[in-house]
Amino acid sequence: MIDNNKIIGTLEKILTAYGGDVKIQNVGTVIKNTDGVITASGLSRAIMGEKVIFEDGNAGTVLNLDEESVSIILLGETSSVKEGDTLKTTGKMLSIEVSEELLGRVIDPLGNPQDNKPKIKKGKNMPLEKIAAGVVDREPVSTPLKTGIKAIDSMIPIGRGQRELIIGDRQTGKTAIAIDSIINQKFNKKPVVCVYVAIGQKKSTIAQVIDRLNSEGAGSYTIVVSASASDSAALQYLAPYSGCAIAEYFLDKGRDVLIVYDDLTKHAWAYRQISLVLKRPAGREAYPGDIFYLHSKLLERSVKLNKENGGGSITALPIIETQANDISAYIPTNVISITDGQIYLQTDLFNAGIRPAINVGQSVSRVGGAAQTQTIKSVSNKLRLELAQYNSVAAFAQFGSEVDPATQKQLDRGRRLTEILKQPQYFPLTENLEVLSIYAVTSGLMDDIPVDSFHRFEKDLHSFAKKNYPKVLETLSAGDRPTEQALKQISKLIDEFKKRFQ
Amino acid sequence: MNKKKIDELIGASYRYLDQKKVEKIASLLSIKDLKKYINGLKLGEKENTLIISSSSPLNNQDLKKIIKLFPYKKIILEKDPSLMLGMRIVDNDIVYDFTLKNSLHRILSFVEQNYD
Repeated sequence: MIDNNKIIGTLEKILTAYGGDVKIQNVGTVIKNTDGVITASGLSRAIMGEKVIFEDGNAGTVLNLDEESVSIILLGETSSVKEGDTLKTTGKMLSIEVSEELLGRVIDPLGNPQDNKPKIKKGKNMPLEKIAAGVVDREPVSTPLKTGIKAIDSMIPIGRGQRELIIGDRQTGKTAIAIDSIINQKFNKKPVVCVYVAIGQKKSTIAQVIDRLNSEGAGSYTIVVSASASDSAALQYLAPYSGCAIAEYFLDKGRDVLIVYDDLTKHAWAYRQISLVLKRPAGREAYPGDIFYLHSKLLERSVKLNKENGGGSITALPIIETQANDISAYIPTNVISITDGQIYLQTDLFNAGIRPAINVGQSVSRVGGAAQTQTIKSVSNKLRLELAQYNSVAAFAQFGSEVDPATQKQLDRGRRLTEILKQPQYFPLTENLEVLSIYAVTSGLMDDIPVDSFHRFEKDLHSFAKKNYPKVLETLSAGDRPTEQALKQISKLIDEFKKRFQ
Repeated sequence: MNKKKIDELIGASYRYLDQKKVEKIASLLSIKDLKKYINGLKLGEKENTLIISSSSPLNNQDLKKIIKLFPYKKIILEKDPSLMLGMRIVDNDIVYDFTLKNSLHRILSFVEQNYD
């Protein structure tokens, strides 16, 4: 039964909150529609980035303000807007409705559902364009963001609030690293919120990613923002900003967020297309002059906030696709210089069966070292050194000449290290298991195990340790540097397992 | 012909607009410039015109007040019963809406946004 007084009370509240009767609108007329870029006259009070509404209900955003006209990118159907149509400003900047309900959903850059579920209505309006947090609001990167990939967590560690670029040719496993990192977040006590932004990809590829995330149990804490290759350039251009706005909603709540931009090369292509239609002067590789700013303003929004500001973080994993391993092209060099390091993937390594195909020499993490736990640091230093030694002598070994025993030992160790760093896709490991595997090789305890049975050995060793030595694994999970006693226990564990291993 | 010169022509034609002058200017311009010139004239015309729409004819007192507010504008009066009450003033690309129709629309959108 509805209470009449309640209804009247609600209506009174509405009337109190309801403003004056006068409505002042700024209107304009469409002059031309060039592939979704509208030129309109009027709109003398429009501002850059403002949302405009066309008479058929379509929305657009202002991208150019000229003396006599305004250029607008259309966010809906491009063919429905015709010359002579009227449009009006809204006084609002482009924004997206975000709430906790968005977790596990697939949306387009405007917040419209792509998963046949209802649209999220009651949420917070987050602006797509926002100035990044200032220096005073931030603190240095100090907490690790585990990817579950041995090679990355040990040698190219990523911290919460860092921007780590994943770069490489097509089919080298860039997306796989990002997806594994998302999947690995389920091992955290409080899962990191993940946002996967698909830009200019095939719909079938996006569907595969979503399916994999759901089957691995990562769907519940992940939001997918999808702007596929069939979507307009405007939507592809806006997708990363939408993803970032969503991430900022959770950041404001003090949460840690991981955002993957897959990929920024296609984002740059979309922006180039829009800029050329807008007749902006073309620069190198026909990209507009502000292409650097386009990416820097986006990636600068990744942040580790200090405690006074909630202590949340946004970690960004932008992806860049190179052509023929050319990392000196325009967009790759731009994004390399913006980010705090890069994971460089190579086709040669991929084809040689080294997966993830990370080129350790050219990959770097500029701030992640500070975020590494003492446990993994204790094994990674030796790993890095021995791999560097191996790489320096490996070139000579290719000639087939005889080498002295010390060099031969370095080569053997290097081969074993390379083998142990291989990891199948969708099998991220917890830190204690990563340490166990790496320690087993760097300590020489696996020197008598044939390289071709490494994978089986590692898998069985992990099961054995989980079953028989849970306390040792617990010690390795604490994050402290392992004591002599703990190392002895690990050695004992490995020796005991070796006796059983056939 | 550059934009500045076309703007000068529009300015001159507009201030002392007479058919002979416009016809003479039009005959001397190329098709491309003529298009720009006509567009300019249209814009100028729009800028100098005020359209007032109301559901019922305005009384003289109200009209005088409006003329006082927009002294240099050509005023066009239109009747639009769909506005229900009040008036709508279109000044180039700015629309001032004082109508009941607008009020009802605003209440409706407020309720839609805030209540399921």
